[in-house]
Amino acid sequence: MIVVTYRLGLALLVFVLAGCNGGTVDRHALKRDAEKVGSLATEGELLANDVSKGASTEAFARVHAKELAGAAFDLARSLAKRPTSRGIESDVRKLSKLAGKVSKELEQLHLHPTDRAVAKSLEKPLQDDADAADSLAK
Amino acid sequence: MKIFQVALGILAAIGGFVDIGDLVFNVSAGATFGYQLLWVVVIGVVGIVVYSEMCGRVAAVSGKAVFDAVRERVGFKSGLAVLVASQVVNLMTLTAEIGGVAICLQLLSGLAYRWLIVVAGAALLVVVWVTAFEWIERIFGYGGLCLLVFAVAAVKLHPGWGAVGHGFVPHLEMKSPLLYAYFAVGLLGAALTPYEVYFYSSGGVEEGWGPKDLRLNKVNAMIGYGLGGFLSFALMIVGGALFLGKGIEPEFLGSIALGAEVPLGQIGLLLALVGILFAVSGAAIDTLFSGAYNLAQFLGWEWGRYRTPRGAPRFTITWLVLLVLALGVVMTGVDPVQLTEYAVIFSAVALPLTYIPILLVANDRSYMREYVNGRLANTLGLIYLIVILFIALTAIPLLILTNAGQN
Repeated sequence: MIVVTYRLGLALLVFVLAGCNGGTVDRHALKRDAEKVGSLATEGELLANDVSKGASTEAFARVHAKELAGAAFDLARSLAKRPTSRGIESDVRKLSKLAGKVSKELEQLHLHPTDRAVAKSLEKPLQDDADAADSLAK
Repeated sequence: MKIFQVALGILAAIGGFVDIGDLVFNVSAGATFGYQLLWVVVIGVVGIVVYSEMCGRVAAVSGKAVFDAVRERVGFKSGLAVLVASQVVNLMTLTAEIGGVAICLQLLSGLAYRWLIVVAGAALLVVVWVTAFEWIERIFGYGGLCLLVFAVAAVKLHPGWGAVGHGFVPHLEMKSPLLYAYFAVGLLGAALTPYEVYFYSSGGVEEGWGPKDLRLNKVNAMIGYGLGGFLSFALMIVGGALFLGKGIEPEFLGSIALGAEVPLGQIGLLLALVGILFAVSGAAIDTLFSGAYNLAQFLGWEWGRYRTPRGAPRFTITWLVLLVLALGVVMTGVDPVQLTEYAVIFSAVALPLTYIPILLVANDRSYMREYVNGRLANTLGLIYLIVILFIALTAIPLLILTNAGQN
């Protein structure tokens, strides 16, 4: 029973890992990734808004902005590397660039977690990025 | 009844019911389906109250914890399968919780994550080594009450209370039925995680419960897990009110804390982070002890935190080894939040192996004498057994079909 459970677990693990962040970017994957980029941009905007009001702490803003920036960077890199289905290459390139832009903006928040002016200046671009990602998701 | 006496239930609830898995699943469920899955939390809370009361009663009457019962009722081979399954899930959960502690410390201090993993491990080691069991319960149980800030945040976010009320009525969602089912199963799995009952029943033995404590057991189960359920509602409402409309998919512990920061500012953020820190640390201790309890009870070793390390050396070595193993896995850079999602789903598969023996023992007059299950406990126990079997059968297929909730 233990051997069967072990083999079953291993097979499932391989199956699940095979579906993680790899494979061809098709329309469905493009939509999902665009939603993720939009989510990261919107969350970054919320954080930037709190920083601009002095409603966050330095450590939290710095660390959380870095987490969000890292996730956006990973998406940008993954979209640039993965093979793409025909007909959506342009949208995938746009999304990859957009994810890179979101990552850079969030990196600014990470580097200036107490600078209210910087945070204020990032709100609009992040909101625009979220809107752009939303358009690509449709 | 003194307020401190219900600490076991509150620790089990804060550290068990509201661990990193519940934090993630509740807020994500809210961010994906709004308040539509609140009814699932109610089902989960009632289920864990029913079974915790049952295994607390078994511990109080027979002086035996859950794994003693498992070994005696299902035999060595099947008992070994239960042990292996529960230890794997325990280790996954412990790893995720230690990672969660380090993330919380990082969000509070801004220091490097890898160093904070070491700090988290050392702090857990010291706390578990030097602190008496009842003080562990009190410190982490009551410290975790800072999570009540999410209830205030939920109110401040002005959710549509009509929609919240509708969420308590069981219903299906036809737009994304598989994803809805995945979250429902995840929420139930997180609510009924086996380590909660292992810890709860062993904790009862640690505290020397006897038949005179049966009322305390009931109060502990109901207040503790009731409170855990209340916090789950608050987390889901925050997810629905703040994240759903904005299309945010909360993937980080920081996202959950942001749910308190946006409506309440710095004080909300700090209370949320401290609450998460205590809850996740409490869960790490629960799982650490559960792993050691299970092995010691299965092999018939001396066990218990009430004994000195010399009095229960193999029990002590077991939890030390588990702690080192979990620290080693966290240091590889595995994402604690993703790991906890897998741990919750895999623990759902192991649920029947834990809960069937409890129901059998609670009905065994040779163990329980006049304290054997009544009609209500048996009816609820059987209903929940069907629910648990359903969860166990559907958890892995739903994990695969929804790509762990990503589709």
